[in-house]
Amino acid sequence: MKGLKRTFAATIAALCLIGAAHAAEPITLHFWVAWDPQQADGIAAKKEIAGYEQSHPGITIDVQNITYDALHSKLLTALAGGDAPDLSWGLPEWLGELSRMGALRDLTEDAKSWTDEKAIYPNVIDGLSIDGHLLAMPHYLGIRALLVHEDMLKAAGLPAPPKTWDELIADAKTIKAKTGKYGFGIAGTGVRSPQELIMYLAQNGVSLAERQPDGKYKNTWLDDKAKLAKATEVFAFYKSLIKDGAINPDGASWGWEEEDTDFSLGQYAMAIDGAWMDSRAAQNPEAMKDVAISAPPYKAQPATFFEINPFYVYKAGKHPKETWDFVTFMTGKEFQAAVHPNNSPRSDVTSDSKWGKDFTALAPTGVVFPPVALGAITRDMIESIGRTLLKDEDSEAAAKWLAAAINKDLKQSGELSGG
Amino acid sequence: MVAGRRRGHTSRQAQLRRLAAYCVTPAAVVILLLIAYPLASVLWEAVHNVILTNPAVSGFAGFDNFVTVFTDERFWPAFWRTGLWTAVSVAGEYALGLGSAVALAQPSRARGVSRAIVLIPWVIPIVVAGLTWTWMLTPDYGIVNLWLVNVGLLSKPFYWLGNLNTALLTVSVVNIWRSFPFYTICLLAALMAIPKELIESAAMDGADSIRRFIYITLPGVKTVSLTLIFIHVIATAINFDFIWVMTQGGPLNSSETLPILIYRFALEDFDVGAASALATMTMGFMLAVFFVYWYATRNPYEETR
Repeated sequence: MKGLKRTFAATIAALCLIGAAHAAEPITLHFWVAWDPQQADGIAAKKEIAGYEQSHPGITIDVQNITYDALHSKLLTALAGGDAPDLSWGLPEWLGELSRMGALRDLTEDAKSWTDEKAIYPNVIDGLSIDGHLLAMPHYLGIRALLVHEDMLKAAGLPAPPKTWDELIADAKTIKAKTGKYGFGIAGTGVRSPQELIMYLAQNGVSLAERQPDGKYKNTWLDDKAKLAKATEVFAFYKSLIKDGAINPDGASWGWEEEDTDFSLGQYAMAIDGAWMDSRAAQNPEAMKDVAISAPPYKAQPATFFEINPFYVYKAGKHPKETWDFVTFMTGKEFQAAVHPNNSPRSDVTSDSKWGKDFTALAPTGVVFPPVALGAITRDMIESIGRTLLKDEDSEAAAKWLAAAINKDLKQSGELSGG
Repeated sequence: MVAGRRRGHTSRQAQLRRLAAYCVTPAAVVILLLIAYPLASVLWEAVHNVILTNPAVSGFAGFDNFVTVFTDERFWPAFWRTGLWTAVSVAGEYALGLGSAVALAQPSRARGVSRAIVLIPWVIPIVVAGLTWTWMLTPDYGIVNLWLVNVGLLSKPFYWLGNLNTALLTVSVVNIWRSFPFYTICLLAALMAIPKELIESAAMDGADSIRRFIYITLPGVKTVSLTLIFIHVIATAINFDFIWVMTQGGPLNSSETLPILIYRFALEDFDVGAASALATMTMGFMLAVFFVYWYATRNPYEETR
């Protein structure tokens, strides 16, 4: 009997030990990012995350740094293989496709007890929701503005930045004639070029795809001659940038790296860019000291691309509670003030610098991508720019081709209205 | 007695067969897991609807995915580009490899060092080589353009990887640069195996160096050459990384080959079925190349024996 009691006591003790060990088991959250570890935001984020780990002894944040260009395919491959991280950086263009794949955790319920939500700009939450379901958390705002090397404008005798497309082309010609440098720069390819194209389309009153009464989407340019004409004008604008010498002809094949690097080195006068260029200003203080921020030039109405950059939280993650806690930490005031002082999605983190308030002032004119699977659509947008700039294809033909391609892509993903 | 010996012999043979089976099993399992399963998976998905962003569409698709591939406006241009990329790359690699092998086979004091130096491009990882060449070729700060302008071959820097007509050829040249050392090593080994007496007696008979090269050297390296060309035709046609690192198939699809198109179907269109159909077709084409090679190099004596 004594032996039995001893055995029973030992078993209970062992179970308690196992339970305690289990409770203290460290948790690792896998977090994929795409920061530049040399830039100020990357350095600040690493420091903040280290602080989070210190204040949460049981939690380790396993950060994997991947370039933006590789992040998309790596994420998709990981999702298809059932090996997704707990959370990641990403582009807003991926929201629709990740949602269609059923990869994202629905954060609506968690957000009900999220006290910080009221500090986030309301249209930011809308931009990360589909049909009322919150599917991502806000990371930073990438509002686009016209960045201008004022000294180059002065050297060309121009008193103020251009306000319209026509003024932009005329000013760029003057800058080229007076300074020998190109007046404007674009991203003709890569992830940024669709972001610029959607802005120019919005500035002329047209959108990529509109939500139809059946809840699905359709590009209507081919059904509406007025819209087709407006879209055609956008491609004609691209064409005139090359033909009138407003941009370096090589810009047709530039990605965002060339666009940002050449602007920050003062190789050309104006670019549509984001507040992250403050990092470039820190790297090239001499060449960037004359940079001023103004609204992007437009055709019919002011508009800019409003990048609501998200944190994606994945359904396959094994630690939803801890992941939610970590992601709310990163949208919290302390983290945002340290990492994104100029471009935070929080209304209580603002900056009086030109990289802060001048960009935030443009938010009301911001446009976003429609919440559909955009993988093939953005590729077709890049191709339509290439057809215009590299093949010198007729502007209307390029607009018609893009309209048909978008509807084909929507049909492929099952999102075409009536398709 | 004889029957007992035969029984012992048979049981020893059975033991050896069992041992062989045990030894082969781990390799067979690995092959099944790493080759057969993915291969079967691709074949299965090629005839099924697998669209990641459209879970509503699923099930058996028959030849629909193949129709999707054939009717895609990018397919035929990518097909011809794959042929061009493969032909230019393999021809260039072979010509440069043979030339350098012949040069390195000549007696010289610096032969050992030269043989080591010529290997350098081959040991550089493709991604490193691709990125380095991309930087060297940029119009703004690339050293290649600087040199070409300085020596007067160009009046101003040229965007080699950003032009529709030069992007694929430029990547091909870089691919040749990186791959030719492998040809050099193999062909050099074959050259060294040609008996010196044969070349000397041909010279004594009055054959000049060109005739000796055509009638002795080339036949001497024929088998190695065919094997090299066959391996590299397949490796180049299915190469993804070099083109992706340097141009991502651009600009405007001008360097898009079939492997890049497979990637686009899978990871941009999310149509895994179409990607698998194209991968299956590519695999069929490569098998056809293999059979042509096998037929061309088979030994009729071996078959009839």
